[in-house]
Amino acid sequence: MKKLYLSIFASALALFIFQSCEKDLPQRLDYEAYEFATLDEDGGTWNPVLLNSPGQIGIPAPEATTSPAYQAELAAVKAASGQITGDQEAAVRYWSSNALIRWNEIARELAAKYNLTPAPNADGTYPAPNAMNPGQYPLFPFAHPPYTCRMLAYWSGAQYDALMAAWYYKYQFNRPAPYAADASITTHLPENGLPSYPSEGATIAAVSQVILSAMFPLEKDFLAAKATEHKNSLIWAGMNVQSDIVAGDSLGRAVAAVFINRAKTDGMANAQTPRPISDSLRAAAQTRWGWHWENLETPQRPVGITPFFGRVRPWCIPNVEAVRPVPPPAPGSAEFQVAVAELQEIADNLTTDQRKIANFWADGLGTYTPPGHWNRFAADLIVKYKENPLRSARTFAYMNMAIMDAGISCWDAKYYYHYPRPAQVIPGFKTILGIPNFPSYTSGHSTFSAAAATVLGHIFPAEKARADAWAEEAALSRIYAGIHYRFDSEVGTTQGRAVGNYAVEVAKVDGGE
Amino acid sequence: MKRMSITSILLMAFGVMLLLPSKAQTPTDALMMETGQICLAAIYTHDTWDEYWEGTLKRNNGNIGTLTRQTVMPMVALGVIDRVNVIAALPWVKTQASGGQMTGVQGLQDWGFWIKGTAVDQEIGSGKLTLHAVAGVSGPASNYLPDYAPFNLGFGCLEGSLRGVLQYQTGSGIFVRGQGAFHLRGNSTIERDYYYTTQGFYTDEVDMPDAISYGAVAGIWLLNNSLKVEAMFDGLKSLGGFDIRRQDAGFPSNKMIFTRVGGGLQYYFPFVKGLGVVASGGYVLTGRNVGQSLALSGGITYQFGIW
Repeated sequence: MKKLYLSIFASALALFIFQSCEKDLPQRLDYEAYEFATLDEDGGTWNPVLLNSPGQIGIPAPEATTSPAYQAELAAVKAASGQITGDQEAAVRYWSSNALIRWNEIARELAAKYNLTPAPNADGTYPAPNAMNPGQYPLFPFAHPPYTCRMLAYWSGAQYDALMAAWYYKYQFNRPAPYAADASITTHLPENGLPSYPSEGATIAAVSQVILSAMFPLEKDFLAAKATEHKNSLIWAGMNVQSDIVAGDSLGRAVAAVFINRAKTDGMANAQTPRPISDSLRAAAQTRWGWHWENLETPQRPVGITPFFGRVRPWCIPNVEAVRPVPPPAPGSAEFQVAVAELQEIADNLTTDQRKIANFWADGLGTYTPPGHWNRFAADLIVKYKENPLRSARTFAYMNMAIMDAGISCWDAKYYYHYPRPAQVIPGFKTILGIPNFPSYTSGHSTFSAAAATVLGHIFPAEKARADAWAEEAALSRIYAGIHYRFDSEVGTTQGRAVGNYAVEVAKVDGGE
Repeated sequence: MKRMSITSILLMAFGVMLLLPSKAQTPTDALMMETGQICLAAIYTHDTWDEYWEGTLKRNNGNIGTLTRQTVMPMVALGVIDRVNVIAALPWVKTQASGGQMTGVQGLQDWGFWIKGTAVDQEIGSGKLTLHAVAGVSGPASNYLPDYAPFNLGFGCLEGSLRGVLQYQTGSGIFVRGQGAFHLRGNSTIERDYYYTTQGFYTDEVDMPDAISYGAVAGIWLLNNSLKVEAMFDGLKSLGGFDIRRQDAGFPSNKMIFTRVGGGLQYYFPFVKGLGVVASGGYVLTGRNVGQSLALSGGITYQFGIW
C-alpha cells in the first residue's frame, strides 16, 4: 500500500514537473531596439509614391529650443523619462526603435483575425460582408489575400511618403532630439541622431491608425489606443517632445488621407462583383477557351473571391496586359495530363517533407495570407540590416506594391482564363488543404511570392538566393497540397518576377538606392 | 489558403482513455488482473458525426458531410501483482469525410501506458467497495498532423493523467461506479509557425488545454458472472482553449466539452477459458467544439496466466 501511495505521489510530481516545463508561447516577434545602420539624411529629396514632393504638405516651423514653450516640453520629457514606470518601460520596449515592425505585425494580426469566409445561410445562399455595416455578420472585411495585399500596400506606401515628408522637415528644421538638447535626459531607446521635429514615431503611428482604421473599421478603438500608447512611449523614452509628436501626427494624418483618397477610387469597391457579372465571366471563358472554373464547396459559392481585382489600379506595372501570362494547356492535352499525373503521384505518395512545406506556406483562412507571410520576412530582414524607419518603409512599400500588383496581375489571369482547379477535373482527387474560392491559373502564392522575393532580393542582395528559394518553395507547396498544377505555379512565378521587376525599376530611380 | 471554406470542426480523439469501451482491464474500470495474468484485447470502434458544435453553435457542414473515424485498438493488460496492473494500448485510426474535397488520413495515433493500483478493497456486508488509482501517459506514435481538423488522428501532445475509480458492488453482482481524471497536456507541434486563436502566436507549438474527464456507470453481472451489462454517462471538459470562430476550422487547442451516454456488454465464453467479447456504444448529448458523435465498438479479449 505504501508503495502505491509513493507511486501516485511520484506520478503527481512528474505531472507537475511536466507542466512547469511548458513555457509561455511567443505572441509577437521579439527584437531588441537597435541603432540604425544609416540615417539617410537626404531622404527628404527622394521621390514619393503619391505626393508630388516630400514637402508638399506643410507643417508649422517648430518653436526655437530656447523658447519657454520648448523648455517646458523638455522639462516634461525629462520628468517622464526619469520617472518611467514598469508599464511604461514595457511599452517603450514593445514599440522599440522602429515601430514600423510592430505596426506591420498589428496589420498582419488584423488580417489573420478577419480572414474568415462567410458561412452559408440556412437556405444554402451566402451572405456577404458589407462595408457600410461592418459589424453585422459576416463582419467586414473578409481579409482574403487580395484584400490583405491591398491593405499592406496602402499602409506601407503611405508610411514611405509620410516618412519621406518627415525627413524633409527634420533636416529642414534640424531640431535636436530632447537628449541632445539636454544631456541630463534619460533615454530608454538608442539615441539615433535624427533631428526630432517632426517625430517619425508619431508619423508612423498616425499613418497606421488612419490606414488600418479605414481597412478594419471595427478596430478603430483598438487602433486609437495603440497609437496613443505608441506616441506616449516616445515621451517616456525621452525621444521626442510633445510638439515633435503633434507635428508628426498631423503630417502622418495628412499623407494617409492622400492614400485613402486613392483607395476610394482604385476599383476595389467593384472587385467583388455581383453574380450576373461573375456568371458572364464564366460564360465568356467557356466560349473563348472551352473550359471554366467552378467553386466546389457545398453549398456552392456562387461568386469567387474578387473577380474584378484584376481591374484594380496597380502601383508599378503599366497594366495587366503587360504581364499577362500565356494561356494554360487545355484540359485533356498532353501537357495537362503530365501535370495531372504528377499531382496524382504526389497525392498517393506524399512525404512528410512535402506535407510540411504545404502547411508551412498554406497561409489560408485565419492567417495573415501569403502577403502577410512575406511582410514577416521583410520585417526580419529590416531588423537584421538595422534599417531606419524611412528605409524600412521603403522596403515595405516596394515589396507590398509589388505584391499588390502581383495580386492584380494574378487575379486578371485567374478570371480571364477561368481555369478549373485540379479537384474539379480529376475524378476523386482530394487535397490536404482547402481549395481557395477562385480559379486555378495562375497560382496566387507563386505570383505574390516571386514578386516579393524579386524586390527583397534587390534591396538585400545578400539575401537574394534565400528569398528566391522561399518563393520557389511557396510555389511548390501548392502542388504538394493538390491545390495547383505545376504550370499554375511555374507560370505564376515567372509572372510574379516580371511584376516585381517593375517595382524594382521604380525603386532604382527614387533616390533611395 | 489552408482549409479555405472547409469549415470547421472538431475532433473526437480524446486519447485512448475515453475511446475505451467500458469493459474489463481498462483505466476507467474497477477490474484488476491477478498476479501473472495477462489480457490481450483488440477493439474496433466506428464513430461518426454529421453535426458538430462550432463554439456553442450546432451546425452541419456540406464540406464535411459525415465524418467517420474508425479505430482499431490493440491493448494489453498485465497483473504485475494483485494490487498493481499495467496497461498499454496503441490505436490505429482512420478518418474520412463523405463531403468536401479534403483527404482523410490514417495511421497510428497515440501510444498509452497506465499503471493501475488498488488503494481500497473493502468488504462491506455482502458487497465490496473498491478504490483504484490510475496514472497514465500517452503521446503520439506517428508523425500525424494535429493541425488537420476534423481529420487529425489525435492532438499530437504528450499527456499525463491521474484517475480515481470508486466502485461499490453488491453480493448479487449489481455495481455502481464513478471515476474522474485530470489530464495534463503538453504542447502540440504543428507545421506552421504562425497561427491565430484569439490572438496570433509566432511559434509552431500549441499550448494544449488541460482537461478533466469523468464518468458514472451502473451495471450488473449476470449468468453466473459471465455477462456484464452496464449503462454509462461520461464527459470531458477542457480547462482552457478557445471556441472555433464562425466558419473557421477547428484547432487542437479548442475548448472541447461534451457529455455522452452509452452502454456496454461484456461476455466470457463458458467453454473457452479466458475468452471474452465486448461491445459498447456511446452518443454525445451536449458539446462544444466537438462533433455529436455516435460511437459503436466491438472487440475480443483473451486472458491467460503467464506465471
